Amino acid sequence: MKFRYLFFIFITLLISTLLSCGPDRLDDYSGDSYELVNQNGETVVFPDDFEGNPVFVGFIYTHCPDICSFITSNLKKVHDELDSDDDTQFILITFDPERDTPDVLKSYASAFDMDTEPYHFLTGDTETIDELMRRVNVRTNITDELAEKSDQDIYFINHSDKILLIDSRSRLVFDYGGSMTPVEIFIEDHQKL
Amino acid sequence: MVDGDGIEIEGAWARPGSEGRMSAAYFLITNFTDEDDRLLSAESDVAQNVEIHESYEQENDMVGMRELESVDIPVQSTIRLEQGGMHIMLIQLTRSISDGDSFELTLNFENYGEVVLDIPVRL
Repeated sequence: MKFRYLFFIFITLLISTLLSCGPDRLDDYSGDSYELVNQNGETVVFPDDFEGNPVFVGFIYTHCPDICSFITSNLKKVHDELDSDDDTQFILITFDPERDTPDVLKSYASAFDMDTEPYHFLTGDTETIDELMRRVNVRTNITDELAEKSDQDIYFINHSDKILLIDSRSRLVFDYGGSMTPVEIFIEDHQKL
Repeated sequence: MVDGDGIEIEGAWARPGSEGRMSAAYFLITNFTDEDDRLLSAESDVAQNVEIHESYEQENDMVGMRELESVDIPVQSTIRLEQGGMHIMLIQLTRSISDGDSFELTLNFENYGEVVLDIPVRL
């Protein structure tokens, strides 16, 4: 009887230990909720609609030719390296919602051959996007260097260079420099989840 | 340094981009001539404006971008236009360019003159 009791205690401790393994959580977004729109014009609630799956999230604007294109491409390469039956989702959220409408995001996604699941390009109203960017510590600063060269609304944005890895319970587990991080690092960390 | 002639361009490529938006082209420039040179400008009908730009890291962990007037190419040296650094900025694409496409880009050097490139687009 005593042996069975000790065995039960041992198993309980073992399970508890295993559940607590894995990377430390940097933040918890499970209590947050942002109503956004995807590249197909469909309403998406972030992070609620993605709970249950690990999620890589990058932050971009489509007028950015250098850093943001590498963030976008990096996420595609990570997806290509994962097993075909992996259920990880890949989200790119714009911090330039006035120009990055769903149609613009759809066109951008098509150029990168990323216009299907598990890729989600999200925009929203300015207030919601600003609130979300503050929450995830993405900083932006508009520059007007090109404004005088065109009659169109051309401006660039200085911005944080960031990709996040969020676990299936909407908890932030890794925070990366988005454009420069090697794909192998993303894959290695993803395997720790 | 590997031997060569004149101004040589290697490893040229550009990012995909949709019409009206942006892209960037990257490559290595090697100056095999016997005098210093300078990349002054670039031209292409794939974009309304083509400029030389540089991405740079700011003090507060943000990244920014600025235009460069020219790029010095010292004699017998290789200059990299690469991710997160100097690049040819294609502003307001006149057509969408996707993985597998290509377009013509002309580089104008102060001494060497024009170099015309066929730039492949890839992810």
